[in-house]
Amino acid sequence: MSLTDADLVARVLLNDDHHAFAELVRRHQSSVRGLLRQLTRTDVALADDLGQETFLRAYKNIRSFRGEARFSTWLYRIAYNCFREEARKRKELVGIDEPQLEAEPDPQSVDPALKHDLMHALQLLPLHERSAILLCCQNGLSHNEAARVLDIPLGTVKTNVLRGREKLKKLLAAWGSN
Amino acid sequence: MDDQFQEDWLDTRLREEAPYIDDAGFTAKVIQQLPVRRARSFRAAIIFCITVLGSAITYSVSDGGKFMIAAVNRLASMPILFVCLIAICCGLVMTAIATGAALSKVRERTLG
Repeated sequence: MSLTDADLVARVLLNDDHHAFAELVRRHQSSVRGLLRQLTRTDVALADDLGQETFLRAYKNIRSFRGEARFSTWLYRIAYNCFREEARKRKELVGIDEPQLEAEPDPQSVDPALKHDLMHALQLLPLHERSAILLCCQNGLSHNEAARVLDIPLGTVKTNVLRGREKLKKLLAAWGSN
Repeated sequence: MDDQFQEDWLDTRLREEAPYIDDAGFTAKVIQQLPVRRARSFRAAIIFCITVLGSAITYSVSDGGKFMIAAVNRLASMPILFVCLIAICCGLVMTAIATGAALSKVRERTLG
């Protein structure tokens, strides 16, 4: 019988069990690193550094995890905070400009191999819409959970998801017609 | 109806196309970097030893704790109103410290 995340967290808290924490890292590394790769626009090295920072912070602050949210949601929040701090340092927090996105995508500028590539289209979204789409649509968080992770109002999350979806549909339709 | 279908299709594709990222030594690197925590019992033993040592030094330096008797005598000779005032001030200071500690704990816990 496999242990739940809550069981593993309890082991880390009670016995400082590194094996239990390693199991938590193994379970969640793919989704956390995947989220960070999308947020950093596939800068794999940076995303993995932030991923390590995320898990180290989780370990140091594990006493503040009360179990009200899912462990993965708590990790996403730490990961997003790590990303924001790094982006603030690098002054790269702003995603692609709105006018750039509103413009018709130039078919010549898109690598044919990437046409219909949803992951590629996702990277063309501005950061606030991309992060909302990633959390709600890809990682299955509710709007409420995403609002907590992103530290923004619930209504803003819903708007960002809606707009992000519309833009993705538009991009995929434009590529599909070529 | 069509919009709903497209949304579901988009969400499904987003989930399906998210690649599984192979661990490739990532977990090992994280575990290597974990800080070593001192055992709680070790910390408690240090605090206990310091307390015992401090008490012993105070007892011997103060000539068997006679200063305590002197302090109680002085307090007993004070007007009752003054003693009440001191007690209220002590209570307020303790409440302020406890509130501050509770607030900082709440701020720390909002992460989880």
